[in-house]
Amino acid sequence: MPTDQNNGHGNVVVSVNNLTKKFPDPMTGEEFVVLDSISLTVEKGNFASIVGPSGCGKSTLLNIIAGIETHDPSDGGTLDVYSHTDAEQPRVGYVFQNARLLNWLTVEDNMTFALESQKIPKDLWKERVNKYLEMVGLEGQQKNYPLNLSGGMQQRVAIARALAIEPDILLMDEPFSHLDEITARKMRFDLMEILMHSSPTILFITHDLGEAVFLADHIYMMSTKPARIFKHIKVDVPRPRKPEDPQIFDLEKELVKEFFSVLDAQEAEGD
Amino acid sequence: MSEKVTAVSIRIGSIFVLLILWHFVAIAMSDAEILPTPIAIAYAMVGVLVEPGPEGKSAFFHMGVTLGRTFVTFGVAMVLGIAIGLAMGLKKVVEHSVMALIPLALTMPTILMVFLAVMWFGFSEIGSLVAVVGVVTPYVAVNIFQGAKAMDKSLIDMAITFRADRNMLIRKVYIPQLLPYIFSAFRFAFGMTWKIVALAETFGIKYGIGYMFFFWFEQFNMELVLAWIILFVILMLVLEHAVFARIEHAAFKWRPANKLQT
Repeated sequence: MPTDQNNGHGNVVVSVNNLTKKFPDPMTGEEFVVLDSISLTVEKGNFASIVGPSGCGKSTLLNIIAGIETHDPSDGGTLDVYSHTDAEQPRVGYVFQNARLLNWLTVEDNMTFALESQKIPKDLWKERVNKYLEMVGLEGQQKNYPLNLSGGMQQRVAIARALAIEPDILLMDEPFSHLDEITARKMRFDLMEILMHSSPTILFITHDLGEAVFLADHIYMMSTKPARIFKHIKVDVPRPRKPEDPQIFDLEKELVKEFFSVLDAQEAEGD
Repeated sequence: MSEKVTAVSIRIGSIFVLLILWHFVAIAMSDAEILPTPIAIAYAMVGVLVEPGPEGKSAFFHMGVTLGRTFVTFGVAMVLGIAIGLAMGLKKVVEHSVMALIPLALTMPTILMVFLAVMWFGFSEIGSLVAVVGVVTPYVAVNIFQGAKAMDKSLIDMAITFRADRNMLIRKVYIPQLLPYIFSAFRFAFGMTWKIVALAETFGIKYGIGYMFFFWFEQFNMELVLAWIILFVILMLVLEHAVFARIEHAAFKWRPANKLQT
């Protein structure tokens, strides 16, 4: 993972510049472009959201930022994540589509797994676990095992685990997409609540424009094959927001329209 | 009556019916040299347990010898099997070279393996060790290899994003995922080991339960052969249920459906 100390970068946490990612086709060996000249900046305390169709390469971008996939600098572009704490490397929290909990560890031990991995001093663990479990509405579940929890509760544990390391950047990859709509809606409200109490820096990926408009300060709209960012919008609606707020609703409608016009144009030119 | 109590009563009843059947067949045959009654066997078992046997060795001595051989050879076979299985999971070269040999080992009749081991290494501790390793290790290795292949990559990625070091990965991510495979190999392998050791003793390794089967077999004493066989089965069942089931239960308490099965 690219790293740098914060000095001289102001409030910037994630800075992606003209990043291009190519994959070799497993059949032909020919390279194809997954991410095409992606540029975006996430500042401290911001909630940035990337919206794009499924399979457009959004997760690849997050994985590169998280360091589980690499990008070849010779393909062009740079990626930097800056630490704003005195930790040696920037702390990255990741909430995946599935909770990805270690089912053989209790809720508490799942959280301390992340804390220990991040070399956070042991005397802080108890307080962190309690604080963030309470924040996601799971106080008292410390000793429970993940498989005794519902899918929504497991995802809450995953969010608490990522928040507990007090990350410089919290990456969220369609975290509510595997939940039923009622649970997902509740989780979005609760995430909004969390945003109002603490202000983590978040890069949130979704294919749901409504979700992005409801939650984010900055929206990056991404096209597919190859993935390009074709629009950046700032959402200036103060929190707490309501999904039926006309301002939110109108913006969503406008963006959906724009999205389809871009995708249609791309299809016409591509085929 | 709860479901569990019903199940247990049926099981006990089933054993009881078998004993009664046996009893009447034995009385009908009235040839104690071929089939003694269960009551006669019960007396013989008590006799075996309280009186010193041939050469002044007690039943507990023989059980101890067999148990000792079983635990040592089982331990060696498990450790080798786990190591080979992991190496297969990690390195393609090892996977392919071992996979070429595995069918050979798995199709080899157990009794032949014991026979060969004893022929090559003599009626000694080494003989029984080679027999057990030859039969049990390939089985364990294949099981562990399957566990290594089934490892959930998404959890490994999760751990890496949180910067878990190698030590944490092994302890908290790899080993817990392998444990079910280790346990299933463990139980099956223990049963196999126990039988192979008894077989090797029957072939002629000095002392142990198998040695006593053969001793009384040579004297045409059916009563004592059966008494020893039943003692052997009881000892094995006690170990399996009292010890292993509990260890397994403790290791998998995170599974919601995990009820202690005894």
